[in-house]
Amino acid sequence: MKKALAILLVVLVIAAAIVAWFVTRLPSSPFDGQPRAEISNDLVARGEYVARLADCVACHSTPDSAPFAGGLEMATPLGSIFTTNITPDPQTGIGNYTLADFDRAVRQGVTPDGARLYPAMPYPSYVKLSDEDVRALYAFFMKGVEPVRMANRANTIEWPLNTRWPLAFWNVAFVESGRYEPESDKDDLWNRGAYLVQAAGHCGSCHTPRGPVMQEKALDETNGNYLSGALLDGWYAPSLRNDHNTGLGRWSEDEVVQFLKKGRNAHGVVFGSMTDAFNNSTQFMNDDDLAAIAHYLKSLPGDRERDGTPWQYDAASNEKLALSNRTDNPGARIFMAKCGACHAADGRGKTPWIPPLAGTTSSLAPQNASSVNVTLNGSGRVVTDGVPDSYRMPPFREQLSDKEIAAVLTFVRTSWGNTGGPVTSQEVRDLRERTDPASSNPIVLQMR
Amino acid sequence: MIVQDAKGSRHATTTSRPDFQIIAKTLDQAKHEELAMELTINDTSYEVQSDGETPLLWVIRDELGLTGTKFGCGLAQCGACSVLVDGVVTRSCVTPLASVVGGRITTIEAIEEDEIGKRVVEAWVDHQVPQCGYCQSGQVMAATSLLKENANPNDDEIAAAMTNLCRCGTYNAISAAIRDLAGETKEG
Repeated sequence: MKKALAILLVVLVIAAAIVAWFVTRLPSSPFDGQPRAEISNDLVARGEYVARLADCVACHSTPDSAPFAGGLEMATPLGSIFTTNITPDPQTGIGNYTLADFDRAVRQGVTPDGARLYPAMPYPSYVKLSDEDVRALYAFFMKGVEPVRMANRANTIEWPLNTRWPLAFWNVAFVESGRYEPESDKDDLWNRGAYLVQAAGHCGSCHTPRGPVMQEKALDETNGNYLSGALLDGWYAPSLRNDHNTGLGRWSEDEVVQFLKKGRNAHGVVFGSMTDAFNNSTQFMNDDDLAAIAHYLKSLPGDRERDGTPWQYDAASNEKLALSNRTDNPGARIFMAKCGACHAADGRGKTPWIPPLAGTTSSLAPQNASSVNVTLNGSGRVVTDGVPDSYRMPPFREQLSDKEIAAVLTFVRTSWGNTGGPVTSQEVRDLRERTDPASSNPIVLQMR
Repeated sequence: MIVQDAKGSRHATTTSRPDFQIIAKTLDQAKHEELAMELTINDTSYEVQSDGETPLLWVIRDELGLTGTKFGCGLAQCGACSVLVDGVVTRSCVTPLASVVGGRITTIEAIEEDEIGKRVVEAWVDHQVPQCGYCQSGQVMAATSLLKENANPNDDEIAAAMTNLCRCGTYNAISAAIRDLAGETKEG
């Protein structure tokens, strides 16, 4: 008996040792053992472009901080984490990282001391980055970014929930290993687009639905969930597949390029979280890369079953807006008083400057978060080539009650052929509270 | 003029959407190159050099010097900037220039050339509607547009149509003036 216990103990100790080794081990990097190389200005410039593609600044900065100094709060169900200082400051930033250290953090989510990063850092996407892009990115962060002395903020998650080593197992389950491998049966444009969307662009972080343990349900086009739309942070990130109603089905490749380059096209204008992605990232992509992204996205088939009957404009709704008809239709009346001046009395907007409400994704998606959120809080500043936009959605939080917003959005989402469906006062009330930073229950950027 | 066809009409039945080529071209030129555009304001043709994106209000006031139209909020919230485009009240602060090329624009300076507009101004004088007056050019535009759509509006319809804001609170006088006109039209 004693002997059996002793054997069990030995087995347990060995198992514990293996686990301990596994969860704190430093994965290998192709850059291991390489001496620090001289960094050329060309490489720094190339790295700056990769940093734009990957939109590093969006999370590793706050509106008040220096670029890349970190400090942005991200919520988890257990408490908040804060993004880190990735400037080359040796004490508080990543100045002492070798290229291999940097590679492990970016592509594998492991710090030089063997700790696991939360997958708020999108390493499940960045793992697909090429060696050349990682090398360039490193060059940029070492030589192209001003060092800033700013200590990282401690997470607010309590022990033992703040233990991060179990993430090593999450990684085994949900992170694909290896770089992006070009598909041999696809052309170069498609492969470049796939690389940009899946790796640096990490579009799926927002646009792909997540599973029960926050893993993205798909990481490439082989699964229909990929980029099929997801709810996050009080916004609905729509499908980027060829869904006629809720995706890019009605967009041409040129229009996709235009949206990413100018922030607007005949179908819509960036708003919600996409404003940041446009302001900091997509407008800086070169035309070839934008064309590649558009080409790849347009190759993703839609799902008629999920998407519903294809939208068609229905002019009959305009009758409801006639003066004699809208006096006893609160939704139509509020639309004409508050919305029609910009979005036009026929719901078609003044494209490309002011988006239509007829036939737009947010009016057709069953998830109404974006409709409610943008009405309560307005749109953010869209800055193109350093010039702010002329037209912006004002917030109606102080002007319209929950009931009024529900009425007008119900009108919008059920008119002109729109099939998004009604909005309830309760839904407006919930989002009103959760998008008020002064409330007791605000939405903080989610860990994703 | 590449924006000639880019007229986003206010009328539901006659809407023509700018096609992609035009949008692409105006977007490419926006912020880089000004376009020559022809605007018809108060039956006069004006050649203006501007971005297609520029709000109509800026051109009316700053370039053409027609300062009767006021800048209020700049967000389509108050209506002080209201003008008529093809007889329909339009908030010029949120109206991109390219969307009104080809339309007939009327500002307060010429409202009395319009038969209904003239009667609105007279009623405004009869009722001594304005106090500070800042919003009133927009109010007159909204009232004219209302009476063009419905010559005999009831109180509910007046309330639904007259959504311009007045900081002095002249709403009762505005309603009374329009009620008078509704009656007048009925008699006439």
